[in-house]
Amino acid sequence: MNRSLALLLGLAAIVVIAVLPVWIGPFYTRVAQLFFFSAALAIAWNILGGFSGYWSFGHTVFIGMGAFAAAHFVTQIGPIGSGPFSMVLPILFAGLLCGLFALVIAYPILRLRGIYFAIAMLGVGQVIGELVNNIRWFQGGVGVFLAAPAPGGMPPEDFFYYIFAALLVACLIISVVVRNSRFGYALLAVREDEDTAMMLGVATERYKILAFVLSATLVGILGAVYGYSVGYFTTYTVFRLDFSLNMIVFCLIGGIGTLFGPVIGTAVMLFLTQVLLSRFLDIHLLITGALVVAIILLVPGGILGALKQKFAGRAAVRKSVEA
Amino acid sequence: MNEIILSGRGVVKHFAGLTATDNVDFDIPAGSIYGLIGPNGAGKSTLFNLITGYYDLTGGEIRFKGTSLAGIPTYRRNQMGIARAFQISKPFPALTVRENIRVGAIFGRPEKVDHEKVVDEALAITGIADIADRTAEGLTVGTLRKLEIARAIATRPSLLLADEPCAGLNPTETQEMVNCLRNVRGKGITVWLVEHDMKAVTSICDRILVIDAGRKIAEGTPAEVVSNPNVITAYLGAPIEEPAA
Repeated sequence: MNRSLALLLGLAAIVVIAVLPVWIGPFYTRVAQLFFFSAALAIAWNILGGFSGYWSFGHTVFIGMGAFAAAHFVTQIGPIGSGPFSMVLPILFAGLLCGLFALVIAYPILRLRGIYFAIAMLGVGQVIGELVNNIRWFQGGVGVFLAAPAPGGMPPEDFFYYIFAALLVACLIISVVVRNSRFGYALLAVREDEDTAMMLGVATERYKILAFVLSATLVGILGAVYGYSVGYFTTYTVFRLDFSLNMIVFCLIGGIGTLFGPVIGTAVMLFLTQVLLSRFLDIHLLITGALVVAIILLVPGGILGALKQKFAGRAAVRKSVEA
Repeated sequence: MNEIILSGRGVVKHFAGLTATDNVDFDIPAGSIYGLIGPNGAGKSTLFNLITGYYDLTGGEIRFKGTSLAGIPTYRRNQMGIARAFQISKPFPALTVRENIRVGAIFGRPEKVDHEKVVDEALAITGIADIADRTAEGLTVGTLRKLEIARAIATRPSLLLADEPCAGLNPTETQEMVNCLRNVRGKGITVWLVEHDMKAVTSICDRILVIDAGRKIAEGTPAEVVSNPNVITAYLGAPIEEPAA
C-alpha cells in the first residue's frame, strides 16, 4: 500500500469515527467505546506479549493501579484544571505510576521465562488486587468515585467514545513505531530465541524492561480513563482476570505479534459477543468458548496469520507460473 | 608472529563437583583458523560458553585483544567483536533468512554501517543469497549451518567461535562449509573451530588445541596433533598391554 493511499484511508477512518455516534445511538456507541478500549489494551499487551514473547497473565494489575491512582490523585491533590482537562494530570500520573511499578518489578520478574513469567504476573495481579481491597486507605472494598467531566452537553458515552478512539490510534501509532524500530527488532529476536539474541549483540534485559514498562504505562493510562468512564469502581471492577484474558484472546484470534492482529481479534470477538450473541444471553458464554477453541485450532496463527499464509501461497504459485 | 586476539590463563569451570574446564591456557593468533578438538564431553562447548559469557569462570582469566572479559555481559562481548555460531542451529524461525541476518547487522559491533550492505555481504560469503527471502523455518541442516555463520559474521566480529559447523552435513556440504570458513578468514576474521570431522579440521586449521576431561592435552599443527600419543589415547584409549608369558 503506498503512503498516500494509507493516508487517505486513515483520514476516511477518522471522519467515519467522528460522525458514527450520531447514527448508531447510545447502545452501539458503548459497544464501539468498549471496542476501542479493548483493542487499545490488546495492542499494549501485544508490545510485550506479542513482540517479545513474554505473555503476561496479570496485565489487569495495571488497569486497576491506573484507575485507583487517578482516583486517589484527585482525592488527595484535587482536580487541576477545569472540565475535561482536569483528567489530564491524574491520567498521566496513573501511567507514570504503572510504568514505575513495572520498572521496579521488571528485573526480578523478567528473569523468569515462558509460563513462569505468565504465572508470576498472574500472582502480581492477585497480590496487588488484594492489597488494594484490604488496605483501608485505598478504599478498594467500598469503592471510589472518579467524576467524568464531559464537555458541556455531550453525553458521557460519546465523550468516552472519542477519548478511547484517540487512545486506540495513539497505541496503534506507538506499536507501529516500536515494531519498525531497532527496539522492535530486539524484541522479535528475544521472542525467537533469547540466548541467540544475546550472542548477536542484543541487550535483551534492557529491551525486555523497556517493553514491559511501555506496555504497563499504556495499560495504566487506559485503566485511568476506564475509571473515569465508569465513574465509580471497586477492586473487583478493575482488577479483573477477564481483562487480562481478553487481551491475550483478542491477540491470539487476530494474530499475536502482528501490528493489526489485536485490533482485528478485538473486533471479531466483540462483534460475536456483544452483537451477534447478545440475543442468546443464557448460552452466549458457551458459544463464545467453543468459537475461541475452534478459531485457535483452525487458525493457530490468528486471522492475520492465516491471511498471510494464504497470500504467500498464492504469490508462490504466481511466481512459479511466471517462471 | 601475529598478535594474540584471545588468550586464556588457568581457565577453570566447576559445576558442583564436576570440573568441566581444568586450568586451560590458550593463545589464539589473529587471522588464524584455530581448531579445538576433543572427545565428547571434553569441555569444548563449555570453553566457548565461558568465552561468550554464558557461564562465569570459576577461576583464571580470559582476555580479548588484551582486555579482560570478566564481568562483561554476553551482548557486550559480541559488540566487542566475539561472535558465535551454535552447535545446534538456533535460527529465528518466524523471520526470513535476511531478517535473521539483519538482527546481527543491527545489534553487532556499534559502528555506522549500511545494514543492508552488511547483510548482502554475509549472504554472499556464505552462499545463501538465493534463499534470502525464505523464512528460516524448514531450512535444511546444511543451510541452517550457513545461516548461523552468516548471522554471526553480520555482527562484524574479529573472532568467530564456530561450534561444530559440519555436524550432520554430508561430504559435499562439509566441503562447502570448509570453503565458507576460508571465506570468513579471508575477510580478516579469526576463526576458532570446534569440530569432530578430522578431515575438515586438518584441512583448514593452522593449529589445533586438544582437550580431554577439561584438560589441555596437546597443541600444535594438525600433523603434530594427529600423531601425538596423548591425543590418540584420548580418542582410542590406551593400548592393551600383552600379559607377560
